[in-house]
Parts: sequence; C-alpha cells; structure tokens
Amino acid sequence: MTDIRIEVSGLHKAFGSLEVLRGIGFTTPRGTSTVLLGPSGSGKTTLLRSLNALDIPDSGVVRIDDVSVDFSLLPPGKAGRATARDLRAQSGMVFQSHNLFPHRTVLQNITEGPVVAQKRPPDEVVAEARVLLDQVGLADRADSYPYQLSGGQQQRVGIARALALKPRVVLFDEPTSALDPELVGEVLSVIRDLAAQGWTMVVVTHEIRFAEQVADQVLFLDGGVIVERGTPERVIGDPQEERTRRFLRRVLEHG
Amino acid sequence: MRQVFRGVLLLLLLLIVFPPPANARDQQPPVVRVGTEGTYPPFSFHDPGTQELTGYDIEVVEAIAAKAGWRLEFVETQWDAIFPALDAGRIDLIANQVSRNDERQAKYGLSSTYTHSRGVVVRRTGDDRVKSIADLKGKTTAQSSTSNWAKVARDAGARVEAVEGFAQAAALLTQGRVDAIVNDNIAVLDYLTTTGSKDVEIAGDAGQAGSEQVLALRKTDTALLAQANQAIEALRADGTLRGISEKYFRADVSVRDGGAADLSQGRGQRSTWDVLRSTAWPMFVGLVKVTIPLTALSFAIGLVLALLVALARISPFRVLSGLARAFISVIRGTPLLLQLFIVFYGLPQIGLKFPPFTAAVVAFSLNVAGYAAEVVRSAILSVPRGQFEAAATIGFGYAQALRRIVLPQAARTAVPPLSNTLLSLLKDTSLGSVVLLTELFRESQLAAAESNEFLALYSFAGLYYWVICVALSAAQKRLETRLNRYVIA
Ligand SMILES: Nc1ncnc2c1ncn2[C@@H]1O[C@H](COP(=O)(O)OP(=O)(O)OP(=O)(O)O)[C@@H](O)[C@H]1O
Ligand SMILES: [Mg+2]
Repeated sequence: MTDIRIEVSGLHKAFGSLEVLRGIGFTTPRGTSTVLLGPSGSGKTTLLRSLNALDIPDSGVVRIDDVSVDFSLLPPGKAGRATARDLRAQSGMVFQSHNLFPHRTVLQNITEGPVVAQKRPPDEVVAEARVLLDQVGLADRADSYPYQLSGGQQQRVGIARALALKPRVVLFDEPTSALDPELVGEVLSVIRDLAAQGWTMVVVTHEIRFAEQVADQVLFLDGGVIVERGTPERVIGDPQEERTRRFLRRVLEHG
Repeated sequence: MRQVFRGVLLLLLLLIVFPPPANARDQQPPVVRVGTEGTYPPFSFHDPGTQELTGYDIEVVEAIAAKAGWRLEFVETQWDAIFPALDAGRIDLIANQVSRNDERQAKYGLSSTYTHSRGVVVRRTGDDRVKSIADLKGKTTAQSSTSNWAKVARDAGARVEAVEGFAQAAALLTQGRVDAIVNDNIAVLDYLTTTGSKDVEIAGDAGQAGSEQVLALRKTDTALLAQANQAIEALRADGTLRGISEKYFRADVSVRDGGAADLSQGRGQRSTWDVLRSTAWPMFVGLVKVTIPLTALSFAIGLVLALLVALARISPFRVLSGLARAFISVIRGTPLLLQLFIVFYGLPQIGLKFPPFTAAVVAFSLNVAGYAAEVVRSAILSVPRGQFEAAATIGFGYAQALRRIVLPQAARTAVPPLSNTLLSLLKDTSLGSVVLLTELFRESQLAAAESNEFLALYSFAGLYYWVICVALSAAQKRLETRLNRYVIA
C-alpha cells in the first residue's frame, strides 16, 4: 500500500482534431487536496472526467489506489466498459450542476448508490446517510425532494451523495460556480471540513482564496498541459509563468 | 418504474380473469371448422332470443355433421374474408349459401347442391328505372364484393359498391346511395318480412335460370368432401333436408322445383328497445372478454417493444439504429388494417399461422411499438445527460441507470402522448372484427345484421367505447399528478 492515492501519467485526449489533454501527469498523496486552476477551455473538466472514466482518454495511465487503467490498452466493448466501471467505483463526483435525481428524496439520492449498486444493507446505509446529512447541515431535509431545496442545499446533498459511496477520492467540478454568491460560502465550508477530515480530493474551482486555504497542491492547466504546479504559496503566491500570472490577475479582479 | 410494473401486472391479471375467447384456439380434425357469416338471415344468423348461431345453412351443416360423424366448430367471419380463411387453413368448409360457378368449381371442392334458388333484383320502391337485370347497366349496386351476386351484377354492367352483408346493402339502397341490389330471392324475402320495410321491393328476376348453393372446401380435402356429399344425399333421401327447408321457407328449396319460398310469417319484428336490451349483454361480454384483454395485452407488449426499438434507435450501432428507424417508418407509413391482414392472412402463407386473438395481439402490439417508440425515444432524450452521468458515478451500469433514473423521469414526458396511443388502440381493436374476433364492435354488427337497428346498435357500442375512454383519461390524470409530484410544489 502506497501513500500515493492518484497517479496520472501521459494522459492524452482529443475531441476530433481538438487536442484537449496533451500529456498530463501528476500524483496526489493520500489525504491531500489537489486544486486544478486554469482558464476556460484549458481541459480541467476533461481531466477530472478522465479520472473516473466519464471521458475515456486516448492514451495514458490513471491509477487510483489499487485500480490502474492504461487507456491505450483498454479493450473495446464490454470488457473495456467493465474496466472503466472499476476505475469509476474508486471515486465520488460532485457536479457543477449537482445532477441530483429529481424523482428521489434527499435521503434516497444518498442511499441509491450504496444500496442498489454496492448492494450494502439498507439499514446500515440509511444510518450512515443520516450522519452524512447531519454533517452537511441538512439533517432535517431527508424527506424533501431536490426541487424544494436552495442551490446551496442541493449542492451539499450532492456532496453527501458522493461521500456515501465511501470512495477513495472525491472529485469536484466547480461545485460553487452555479450558485448565487451568498450560497457559495456554505458549500465551501463543507468542502473545507472534508479536507480537514483527511479525504483525498481533486477540486476544480475558480475560488482562489478557497484554493489557498485547502489545497496541498495546485495544478495550473493551460492548453491541455500543466503549466505550473506546487503548493498554493508557490503557484498562487509567487507564480513563475506569465500565463499563470495573467490568469490569476483576471480571476482576482473579477472574483 | 414500480408503477409501470404494477400496471403491467394488473393487465396480466385482467387477462387471467378474462381469458381470450375460445375460438382463439386452433384445432386439428376430427373437428371441422365451419366458416359462416352469422349475419345472413335466414341462412346464418344469431337468434335474437338466445344469441345462438342458427339458420338454414347452420342446421343443414349440423345435420351433415351428425351423419358424417364430425364435430363442428363455427368460425364467424365476413363474407369477403371467408375464402381467404379457407385458403389459409383457418376454416375447413364454408356453409354460407356459396353459389356454384365455374371459377369456384375450378379452385375449390364444391359439394352437392343443398339449396336451389334464384337471384332477384331489388330496387327502391317505385323506382321505374330498375325493372330487370338489363337496367343495371351503368347503375350502382351494393354487394359483398367477392360474392357470386356481385359477379352477376358486374356482368350486367353495374358498378358494385362493396358492403358486408345484405342488411348493409339494403340500408344503402334505402338511403339512395346505390340504385339496386342483386341477391338471393330468399334472403330478400326474409329481409322484407323481418323489417316490414316498404322502402325497397323486388323488381324482377336476375335473369339466371336459377342458382345452386353448395358447401365449399379446399380442393385437396377430397375425403372430407366425399363424406359431405354422402351425408347430403342421405339427408335428401331421408327427408331431413326437406324438413329443415320447410321449417324456414315453407317450401323445399333443397330440390330444383320444390315450390316458391314463403317467408311471410317471418321471424317477427322487435322493438328497438328489445334489440338493445338483448344485445347489451353480448356486447359487454365482447368488451370484457376480447376488447379489453386485447387492448391491455397489445399495449403492454407494445410498450416493451417500443422501449427496445427506442433504445436501438438511439444506440451508437448504425445497423441497429437503422433497423429501428426502418421499422418505425414502415409501421407509421402503412395502414393498421393492412398490417392486421398481413399478420392474419399473409403470414400463414409462409407457415406462420396464429390463432385470431394471437394474430391481433401481434399486429396491434407491433403497431403500438412503432408509434410509441418515437414517444419513448424523445422522452429518454429529454432527460438531461447529467442524470446518466450522475447514475454512472454512483456505480450504475447502463441498464440500471435507465431503469431507476432515466425512465422514471422520461415517464413524466411520455405519459400524455402514450395515453393517446392507448385510447387509439382501444378504438382500433374494433378492426379485430375482420380477423374473426367477436369483440365489442363485431357483436353490434351481428345484432345489426339480424335486426337492421344500425343507428341504435352502433351508438350503443360507441357508448361502451366512450365510457372506457373516459375512465382511462381519468386514470391518466391521476398518473400525471403522481409523476409530477417531484416537480410541482
Ligand atoms: N464532448 C466534447 N466534444 C467536443 N469537444 C469537447 C467536449 N468536451 C469538451 N470539449 C472541448 O474541450 C475543451 C476543454 O473543455 P473542458 O470542459 O475540459 O474545459 P474546462 O477547462 O473545464 O473549461 P471551463 O472552465 O469553461 O469549464 C473545450 O474547448 C471544449 O469545448
Ligand atoms: Mg469545466
């Protein structure tokens, strides 16, 4: 058992003639948070979706804990889909637009995966789900439907849903960008708690202040490559690359 | 999704409680299946009191069966479908005043004659333009299009309007939509006494020396034909045929010069109210035993097929989606009646013979599949991609995501258009009447042929359909409310 939870190397992905990822490699130690920064269209979402095989890279290797997939060797058809599913099972994902199941209650949204896909005992799962709901501050909304919640509450349910899978890592794709400004704080504070509890996380965000607080490692992505990497003090506090500086200036001005 | 399963279960339950009709079974000889109209009094009709099939031809063929040792199974079908049914092996003989002519003699096994009659020309009362068969040139007559009388009319230069049975023809004549009818003397006399109609009258003979009516069998069934002929001669010799004939016609029509038929005593007239009262129950039985099970089963199977076709249609495999597209296009681009005929009369020619109820279920469920597939497809596509992806990230495979996440949401979009499909289907099952199914509409046709109460009986049948449709619409409302509970506060 290694202390490296995520290991990515040589990741390439093109959509048609557009090369979106052009040789990405990085590692994430267990219990740490990695923040992906980068301008729009730089490939952050694609990279994140490659980690759980929602997008299938053309080549490169992704290892999460003890599941490793070499995408250039991925067999076509059923076998390939099974491999992708194994890798996907290693992570939980929080979407920008939460993607909660509208026809399920808050509690059902959380228990659906563990009970139906992981086939764990419902009683146990429900008990855990209630603990998670308490943790994200929604203990009293278990029986609400998603449409009855505010955006921030919905996103916190999305986080609880991801955690209920007991994943090795949690992936966040701009979890606060779709929210009204006054709701951003409650979601970020939940994620901050998770970092403190030792979850291994990869977070795409434009919240620079938040990144400085929670990140153990910052990756700055541009044009499908990692342009700069290091601690937040290094990458955000003292960027070496002109592209990083320009990006940070723009985000800090508008943010 | 659980609601959908519950619905399907309910339908299956309905089917167990109301199984499809007995004539849906196909049987081997020694049972002889007899094709007859059941709407051609006094030869083949339903007794208004008992609803039993009876008539001169029925009693004759029953007497023949008693002599020949057959067990009979009657299959009631429209005249124009009778010979195709014989060809397709759905019946073994026709007992329905089949006139002997050269074409039929060449193609079928025809029995000895059991009825001698003559054709007459019928006109609207007092219409002097029609005096004899010669006057039919350039005029329009109403006939069963494949009957011998239609041939006689055409040969006389008339244009033939196709109808099902004499009662319908008489209605068209009375309404002035056609100029004349050529038909059997006896059938016309029966109509005139039964209805007491003064609107039409016999203008004169159809000009033939007389016609002979026989049983028709497949040419290859020589043994069965020999048995029939033997029995007919025996019945003629022992006076049985004469007895049956005199009971119905007060004359012996089983020989050439047995006297003029006299039907003046008639079968008696009944009030509209009486007709309705005695028909309401058979129609209800037709509704509950055939129309509803046929609708429910076809809809359930059709929906499952529609889902498969819709999934094929949106699958990334070109061949699969191409096939699905072709299927949808063919189903939507051809008449339902034609699809029904292909399954019922066409497929037996390549060895695929289903009993009537099964054939109807096959045709109707394929039709539902063709229409519902597009509804299901667009409903699935209306569910945001993110739902599929979220389902994938919680560990669901494609089938699981579809069943637990996507379809329940798609259902909300699909229910209103699918309800329309269901209502259409319920009404379209009336087409089952042309493939030997005694469903609601067929029951009303049977009663109308015997009583001529078209308006009352068809309106009454309509009432049954309407009530079921209203009930289904109410169920749809409730289902929609249920499915909307997670989007409307
Ligand atoms: N499924 C796809 N098909 C074609 N092009 C795609 C697809 N997904 C992403 N792209 C393209 O790939 C590039 C990278 O997209 P990606 O979503 O990874 O960027 P991003 O860094 O997440 O941007 P943003 O900050 O706007 O979310 C973009 O140019 C985008 O248009
Ligand atoms: Mg993105």
